[in-house]
Amino acid sequence: MSGSFGGSFNRIGAIAINTFTEASRNRAFIGLGIAAIALVVSSMAISGLAVSDQRARVLVDFGLFAVSLLLVVISITMGVILVFKEVDRKTFYVVLTKPIRRAEVLAGKLLGLLSVLVVTLFLMGLAWVLVLVIRDVALPADLFKALILTWLQAALVTSLALLFSTFASPILSGVFTFGVFIVGTMIPVLQDLLTLRKGPLAASPAMRFLAEGTIKVVPDMTVFNVSKELILGIPVTWHYVSGAFFYCLGWSALFFALAVLIFSRRDFN
Amino acid sequence: MEYIIEVEGFKKHFRTVMTQRKVEAVKDVSFKVKPGEIFGFLGPNGAGKTTTMKAMMGLIRPTGGTIRILGGSPGQYAVMSRVGFLPEQPYFYDYLKPQELLHTFGRIFSIPRSVREKRIDELLRVVGLEDARNKTLRKFSKGMLQRIGIAQALINDPELIVLDEPLSGLDPIGRKEVIDLLASLKSQGKTVFFSSHILSDIERLCDRVVIIDKGFVKAEGTLEQLLGSGSGEKEILVGGLKDVASVELLAGVKSVEVVGSLVHRLVVENAQADEVLMSLLRAGLHIVSVSDQRISLESLFISQSGGGPAMEATI
Ligand SMILES: Nc1ncnc2c1ncn2[C@@H]1O[C@H](COP(=O)(O)OP(=O)(O)O)[C@@H](O)[C@H]1O
Ligand SMILES: [Mg+2]
Repeated sequence: MSGSFGGSFNRIGAIAINTFTEASRNRAFIGLGIAAIALVVSSMAISGLAVSDQRARVLVDFGLFAVSLLLVVISITMGVILVFKEVDRKTFYVVLTKPIRRAEVLAGKLLGLLSVLVVTLFLMGLAWVLVLVIRDVALPADLFKALILTWLQAALVTSLALLFSTFASPILSGVFTFGVFIVGTMIPVLQDLLTLRKGPLAASPAMRFLAEGTIKVVPDMTVFNVSKELILGIPVTWHYVSGAFFYCLGWSALFFALAVLIFSRRDFN
Repeated sequence: MEYIIEVEGFKKHFRTVMTQRKVEAVKDVSFKVKPGEIFGFLGPNGAGKTTTMKAMMGLIRPTGGTIRILGGSPGQYAVMSRVGFLPEQPYFYDYLKPQELLHTFGRIFSIPRSVREKRIDELLRVVGLEDARNKTLRKFSKGMLQRIGIAQALINDPELIVLDEPLSGLDPIGRKEVIDLLASLKSQGKTVFFSSHILSDIERLCDRVVIIDKGFVKAEGTLEQLLGSGSGEKEILVGGLKDVASVELLAGVKSVEVVGSLVHRLVVENAQADEVLMSLLRAGLHIVSVSDQRISLESLFISQSGGGPAMEATI
């Protein structure tokens, strides 16, 4: 039946192409992309006013920070409306009544959005590199790897946004996802606090328990952040990048599986 | 396979989002559709038609009862590849052109590109959207969305076509075109199942109908069974009549009413019909048509649902 790999590939591909085409022609999204690029450039222009010996450092550090944060914001915004919009506007009525599994629909939507993020990241990265070149700053050796890691982080965030959006409103999903992202950037801090003999976590067993739980269920976003390495010139190996890839894949697969579980059971009123 | 669709004791309850109040959208609906039929699923707004059809398409799960479609369950892969579905007031992707939308769905069915191209050209022609190829769907009118909706429902050359209010949003010409299209689908041996809250122009199209109201079946059968073969009266449409009073006095004439600016409608008993016709002709009047007077489905529906103009005769 449907089971054939080729058929499944066609179906996921159809949804992915459709999602990509829709997004790339959507004026609201194009506006968001242009705004993001403008923000990267202008924020670097301002941060570039720092004292001259610090200038290169700030431009690299702040540029990467801006690019990755903006990509996360775009991922969340688009991720939470990905399913909601199709349910709300009832476009899913004609898609889900075709011979296609709901898992295939979600996979296609996710892949389509991840391709959109590749293009967005490429443009923002380009803007960043241009600013560095114009400001006469030597390009960090591992800049490309840093951008790949940024995309992996956005992919993880997107699958989480997708999961939330299968059962919560876009606004709630956005808040949840951003909340998890922020906590995820503080995992190492929590780990440090846990090893301390003093401090807030040493005093209260309940807080300690909470922190230990958080470390287990929230992905560590700092895995994808290599700005320190870029500045200090510490090499980022492909080995490290592939480790981060599998870290991203593991979490995304988990979020995706949960999303499919919920999505397959729901009614479309 | 004896039946294409079998709905048995279907029931669906919703909970409202805010108050969690239980809404019994469909209480008890059963009917069977045979292969090759045009089957009308009729009832006023809020009767539960859309809810039933969504369950038939696997979009929602029944609270109770069973639904079999093409020998399988709603939503099953093998079933859905042989079905075409037009939702109520369909909506599609804003930034796609009609042929791009059809390509997306064609890909889902793994239809090879060359076949797809041909079928899409053909479908756009059939639904009258050839001139809209360069328009994105966000610029489509309601009637155009209805047309592309019908085209996408036919992309896989389905055996069974399920349409929710296919005539809504269309102008009179569009309605005529869609009615003709449904009739031609039947002549190709396909089964057509459609819902409507408007009776006037579809009743002649259906082989069988089921009428539902407030979540229950009110009547089911062929038009013949529901309407009877005739009422023993004929309807005569006549043009140029001025002297209404004297016509009313003719033997066998039961009523005279104005139906257009120049046309009167006479209801005459069968036995005296010939004589009445002769008198009208002798008076030099123009006979527009003579037909058997039948109860309209609409009047039947009103008597079934306990009076009141529950169904709209027009949009
Ligand atoms: N998701 C829902 N939540 C609550 N009530 C609903 C929902 N969907 C439909 N209903 C109610 O169920 C009844 C039947 O609706 P519907 O099937 O759309 O009727 P029809 O298509 O015949 O006009 C209506 O009273 C409607 O308000
Ligand atoms: Mg309806």
